[in-house]
Amino acid sequence: MNMDYWVSRLCFDLHNNRQLADQYRADRHSVLCAYPLSAKAKTALLCDDVSFLAARTNPFLLRYYFIAAGMTEKTLLERISRVDLDKEG
Amino acid sequence: MAGLVGVFATCHTPSLVRDWDAIEQRRRRELSAAFGELGRRIAACSPDAMIMIGADHWANFFVDNYPAICLGVGEEHGGPPERWLSDYPHHTMPGDPALGVHIAKTAFASGFEPSISYNLRLDHAFCVPLWKAGIAPLPPLVPIIINALQPPFPTIERCLEFGRMIARAIGTYDLSSRIAILATGGLSHSVGEPQMGRIDEAFDRECIELFRRGDTEALLQFLRQDRIDAAGNGANEVRFWVTAHGAAAARRFDLIHYEAVPETYTGCAFAEWKPEA
Repeated sequence: MNMDYWVSRLCFDLHNNRQLADQYRADRHSVLCAYPLSAKAKTALLCDDVSFLAARTNPFLLRYYFIAAGMTEKTLLERISRVDLDKEG
Repeated sequence: MAGLVGVFATCHTPSLVRDWDAIEQRRRRELSAAFGELGRRIAACSPDAMIMIGADHWANFFVDNYPAICLGVGEEHGGPPERWLSDYPHHTMPGDPALGVHIAKTAFASGFEPSISYNLRLDHAFCVPLWKAGIAPLPPLVPIIINALQPPFPTIERCLEFGRMIARAIGTYDLSSRIAILATGGLSHSVGEPQMGRIDEAFDRECIELFRRGDTEALLQFLRQDRIDAAGNGANEVRFWVTAHGAAAARRFDLIHYEAVPETYTGCAFAEWKPEA
């Protein structure tokens, strides 16, 4: 897996900062602009691209990111089961 | 003379709190009974301090600096960051700096160089078992975090040796102190991976059998990294059980309860080693 530092950093910050997580749920753009993310990563975060993100951050961080972002467990399970890490990596 | 008075292990999966009502009633009853028995046995040890061995789920450490092993030697420890643990009754938990520093010194004299923290936050790995087992009042805690989340990981062999070192440290500490060990994590589960939700019951039952037999060589042979990986990334937490196994000198393993609980995505296991035999 190629770790994307800033995607991972965002996941970590959202996991540990409830106010930031609340802000992220209300307005993702305002939070994302504080991180030097690549355009592809920003797009993936805005459209919940589980496959893209799964290939670029720790799986635990990925789960915590989607909890903070408000995705239901059912949806995450359904989407992550379709991820092909070999293809994405 | 007291010293090491009990060695225990349990699961810590978030669903045991966060999604408790979604767990089938019979399983809830049995899990509650298992946590209750665990709490009763720990209380029966009357520990003056408890060493807890578990994971840091990205509450303290990031990839900037992720220690293989970290000892918490603070006067107190912070409560969990997880929103779903907002009702956890302790904003802070007592520490035992003297015991923590003694373990650190023993580690340094034994070929281990763990990092040291005077200010740890204890996440669900610590708080879920303490809460569910009803451990109150909390004894002073010495948390030991072993990396089981971000590869590469400490080897199983080193975890076993680290557990043996902990037992030596307790054996050279104030022997009027009664010290228990509680390892938390595992067994098999998968988090944030394509196979998330899958439980490898065969892996769990083989681990349990090898712990029960006290056959450490066979345990080490079984717990190859590729076998652990096949059981899901969360199965790396078996390292905490192996550490406890080392501290208990692999003796008198007693399984309190095991069930693969699909609602928690986890092979939920509870056990005790009885080191005073």
